[in-house]
Amino acid sequence: MIRTNKTQVGGGRTILASPTFFGRLFGDNGLQKYLFYLPAIFMVVFFLIPTLLTIVWSFFERTLFWMEPGFTFFSYINFFTSARFDNFLSSMFHSGISVIICFILGFPIAVFVRRHVPQVAQHRVILLFILPFMVSEIIRTFMLRPVLGRNGLVNTFLQKLGIISEPITSILFTPLGVIIGEVMSFLPFIVFAGFLAMEAVPKYIFEVCQDLGASRWRVFVDIIVPLAAPGIFAGGVFIFVNGLGVALIPNILGGPGAVNAGLIATQAISALDFPLAMAVSAIMMITLLGLLFVGHRLFNLTRILEPIA
Amino acid sequence: MKTQFEFNRRVMLQAMGTIAATAAASGIPFSSAFAEGPLNIWTIGVAKVGAAPGTGGADWGDMESQAGIKIAYTAKSGSADQAILKMVVGDGNQLYDAITDNGGGMEDALASQGAIAKIDTSKIDNWGNLLDHYQSGGIGEGTIRHDGDVYGVPYISNADSLAYNGSEIGGTLDSWEALFDSQFRGRAAMQNDFGPTFTNTGIYLKESGKQDIENPSDMTEAEVAGVAQFLIDLKKQGHFRTFWDGFQNGVDILASEEVLVSSCWEPVQIVAARKSGKDIRYGTMKEGHQTWNNIWMLTNGGVERGRADDFYKLMNTYLSPWFGARTLLTFGFAPQMNGVLEYIEGASEFEAAAKETVAQRLANKNARYAVSGNSWQNVFPTNIRAYQDWWAKVQAA
Repeated sequence: MIRTNKTQVGGGRTILASPTFFGRLFGDNGLQKYLFYLPAIFMVVFFLIPTLLTIVWSFFERTLFWMEPGFTFFSYINFFTSARFDNFLSSMFHSGISVIICFILGFPIAVFVRRHVPQVAQHRVILLFILPFMVSEIIRTFMLRPVLGRNGLVNTFLQKLGIISEPITSILFTPLGVIIGEVMSFLPFIVFAGFLAMEAVPKYIFEVCQDLGASRWRVFVDIIVPLAAPGIFAGGVFIFVNGLGVALIPNILGGPGAVNAGLIATQAISALDFPLAMAVSAIMMITLLGLLFVGHRLFNLTRILEPIA
Repeated sequence: MKTQFEFNRRVMLQAMGTIAATAAASGIPFSSAFAEGPLNIWTIGVAKVGAAPGTGGADWGDMESQAGIKIAYTAKSGSADQAILKMVVGDGNQLYDAITDNGGGMEDALASQGAIAKIDTSKIDNWGNLLDHYQSGGIGEGTIRHDGDVYGVPYISNADSLAYNGSEIGGTLDSWEALFDSQFRGRAAMQNDFGPTFTNTGIYLKESGKQDIENPSDMTEAEVAGVAQFLIDLKKQGHFRTFWDGFQNGVDILASEEVLVSSCWEPVQIVAARKSGKDIRYGTMKEGHQTWNNIWMLTNGGVERGRADDFYKLMNTYLSPWFGARTLLTFGFAPQMNGVLEYIEGASEFEAAAKETVAQRLANKNARYAVSGNSWQNVFPTNIRAYQDWWAKVQAA
């Protein structure tokens, strides 16, 4: 609001004097008007323009060390007709499994915190799930190696209990290892998203269901999940996209040749095939946008932003 | 690419010109106007050694003292794309006076794009000390030259080989056959990089007579396909535990005994042996090895800023046995100069055990370098697209 100087003049009339300098500078017609454009400018500079450049460059011609302007589908044809597409599909499959496991493990935590932890403590409990993010992701992922490995804690423990005689080698350096790594790394996403989504489920609904004799399973499947679906979907998308894009997990925990889309792009850059790397990135973005479109049609994702009644 | 590169160079040269004009107007010689301050280098962490034998040095202080210059260091990875992006299309020439990267390709790439300067070898006193195979007609000649001119100063090299767990295996392995042998099914690893993995496999297939390959460093599409198919067949049988990527990863799989045989860099084997306490050895393969070197290059920006003299002082240190003996003891890299053994004999700071290690490693290296089937690393093979595509197939198999 503009701060103005009110002045009494003869006859008791009040007139509005000119606003102060700072009033004008930060007033409705001053900088304040433009401050609201900052997020839009930020998104244009750091998201829209790089995204458009990525798409444009993906159609460029590759040169020995860089690329030159042109229009060719070669990178896309190369991607879809080579083994890279198989790698991409398998990493989508593994990421999908990670999403399901994260939902099974993480969403009940969110429901539990929302229902059973006193309201004053809920946010503090949820904040505990941020703690793992304080540790470098490389270290977090690498620390799974001495746990899951041939001579790791899991195998040693099982051997000491006499459950197995030979170490299990199908945990590490396999797709299972990648899925375990993704679940460990991305579980908090579904907890956060689920916690927020549970705000859409009024507490009285649980009491009504209890009074009507509904089982916990029926309450979960018929009430909680449908109401919290937009938030669950958003959390799932976070995990899925990270599973596709974060290269270090298949790099550290995957078997021979384990790759995801992020690693495909990284390896293309290492081989100085920049248009291919751009095409892989563009395909990832299109995949993400497609997912968001489907999610919005199914669950109306704008409900996440609606105020709680 | 060209446009952006030229733009960057144009802007830089304009800026340089303005500053030079200012310097000239003020009566200050152009080069000395810039020659103050440290030599800005962009290199890998293992490019330095400490004065105390066997140490990498806490910082670049010991290298500075030895060369008599000041150094400002910026960390760099070993991947080719980073150097190309920074030096050809980025602002590398404005930031760095000297950089390192792989010889045998990168000097051609950067020189052809006008990013690096010719080296005046007469300004490096120890140039005559350089190993013979870098001289005209030698096997490493092309790894430091572009169009016949010297653009690189080699400072480390090696012949990559097979590391194996002697404690578990017993005996000595002297053939790549072991890496692909069914007795190590599920306990073998190779590097997650089509360059060294295809080249070493190609060397094995060629020398064992299993596949006709003209040049394992620069294979045709059909030859790459044959090498890749060989790896795919093995992979489908569950032969490889993993393809390792990154130094720590390579160390861990050997030290933790996830694998018993792994084609890897020698520093990986040295650290894995030290970390695990196991008898992890580095063999000499009778079929040959992928040989490589890493070279120092002087940027055009460095020349324009008048930093060439400091660069040559640093290169003199790199070509001295003082550096060669230390990098060999610390990291296992091959010295690029003659006279290392003579130097450590008279160097009181090297204890008897260190002298023995240096002599042993040097003998092992000489044995590896003497194998006729060796092939030099090729950073940009002619059919790089085939290499990429077939590597994707190996990964997907």
